[in-house]
Amino acid sequence: MNAVWATITRELRAYFLSPLAYIVAALLLLVNGFVFWFIVSALNNPQFGGQIAPLGFFFNGLFFWLVLLFVAPALAMRLISEERRSGTIEMLLTAPITEAQVVVSKFLSAWIFYAFLWLPTVTYALILEYYHEVDWGPVAASYLGVLTVGALFLSVGVLATALTRSQLVAAAITFALLIPLFSFGFLEGLVNAELPKQVFSYLSLPQHMEDFSRGIVETRHLAYHLSATVFFLFLASRALAARKWR
Amino acid sequence: MIEVQNLTRRYGDFTAVDSISFAVDDGEIVGMLGPNGAGKTTAIRMITGFLPPTSGRVRVSGRNLFEDPVEARRDVGYLPENVALYPEMRVSEYLAYRARLEGMTGAAARTAIREVLADCLIESVARQVIGTLSKGYRQRVGLAAAILHQPKVLVLDEPTVGLDPKQIIAIRELIRTLGGRRTLLLSTHILPEVELLCDRVVIIDRGRVVAEGTPDSLRRSWQGEAVVTLELKEGRAEAAELLAAVAGVAAVEAHGDREFELRCRPGSDPREELFRLAVDRRWTLLELAQRKASLEDIFVRLTTDDAGAAAAGAVEPAAAGEAGEVEN
Repeated sequence: MNAVWATITRELRAYFLSPLAYIVAALLLLVNGFVFWFIVSALNNPQFGGQIAPLGFFFNGLFFWLVLLFVAPALAMRLISEERRSGTIEMLLTAPITEAQVVVSKFLSAWIFYAFLWLPTVTYALILEYYHEVDWGPVAASYLGVLTVGALFLSVGVLATALTRSQLVAAAITFALLIPLFSFGFLEGLVNAELPKQVFSYLSLPQHMEDFSRGIVETRHLAYHLSATVFFLFLASRALAARKWR
Repeated sequence: MIEVQNLTRRYGDFTAVDSISFAVDDGEIVGMLGPNGAGKTTAIRMITGFLPPTSGRVRVSGRNLFEDPVEARRDVGYLPENVALYPEMRVSEYLAYRARLEGMTGAAARTAIREVLADCLIESVARQVIGTLSKGYRQRVGLAAAILHQPKVLVLDEPTVGLDPKQIIAIRELIRTLGGRRTLLLSTHILPEVELLCDRVVIIDRGRVVAEGTPDSLRRSWQGEAVVTLELKEGRAEAAELLAAVAGVAAVEAHGDREFELRCRPGSDPREELFRLAVDRRWTLLELAQRKASLEDIFVRLTTDDAGAAAAGAVEPAAAGEAGEVEN
């Protein structure tokens, strides 16, 4: 476990020293700041007053998903690909640490950094609290959703980065896997049969975030996010153990 | 103790390492010698557990690296051919990370780091960011990391490549002091390094072990084919024929009518006969010297049959000059 913790802290340090992480952080804050401004304006506009659900808009809007679809590949792409490109992987995989431990350390460091990126947005809720009472239950549920959906997205990124030595290819693979994963839910409207409709609805990530933003913590959603995360991390560790390179 | 049994690695149709077997005993320094592309690095990657073998087995201190990876890897220190380090870390941070990976903590880790910084002559760059270090320093940081946890078995893949002569001497000195205390496998294509450092040599060519033994025993078994060079003051037309008739001389190669190279029959030393012949014929001898087969000759001969020039070209010119010294 000491090796896992050592690797997590090393990875986190690498994040904080890399320009890319700051670009991603800036992008996330810029977009979220804009969305927050939009929500506040809308709430203050008598024409819209009460018509919009602030949390649903913030955590399940177009911008939320757009940002997430770019943030996850950007944060994950470096993790293993860079070690393979530079050759440091040789040191890492001959050290007393298993492939699964390497994958878990990489994933956790990305996840912790991702959570850190979302931290400043809590101030938005605090600002609102200053002017008006905030219902903290749905806010907490939404952040739980941000964390579990983020874990799922990052685990896909970890799998992709375990497959190639090119960061660019890793990011492209992540993106290509995330798009269908994200769009499953939209198929719900295209089918009529009851069973597939239910399946697509169950797999719909926007539906999950919608529920979270209403303060509904559905264990089925959490089970889906976490089991898929574990599944992708398992594949990543198998890919790393196979050493299908050179 | 490293035991390698029938180790094989194929990449598609290409067999990089073809059923090699050898062992390195406790406290022994064994040099793995071979031209570039002979399969040294592939073999070493399997021995250190980085690359799974296609077939065959590696045991380090009695443990299989793929069946018992975490425990077995604790016993191994490894310096890869291309020393790759995290460029954004400081040297001391990197060593601290490696110490934690190896399960060392607190005072033990700090002491170990202080020791290897001193041993590898990198105290002066301990606070420097690795990305700003020269190749020689990086090589030494890699070596420091490999010996940090005092592994029983140390595997070094071309440890002196890219260093300047002064650094090479320092690193060789360090390797020599390390060797007494632990099992050491060293790959190189620099011949003097092997003669200087190694108790035993395994010569590898095209994925196979082509010779194995101490540098002395290898030299002895090839000494039979020693070459005698002979130079006369004045040219003698009849000399070549007379020299070929001397007992023990297998073949004569004449460079003009004054200089000759005589290939000797195995185990014979015809120099005395040659001297008598010169005296009888009243030739003035300028040179009469026997050149023993150097490790380099053996190496070149063993690795040259078909793959020819490629293998010979792999020997570093500087190294070739040093190893090919004329004896006697």
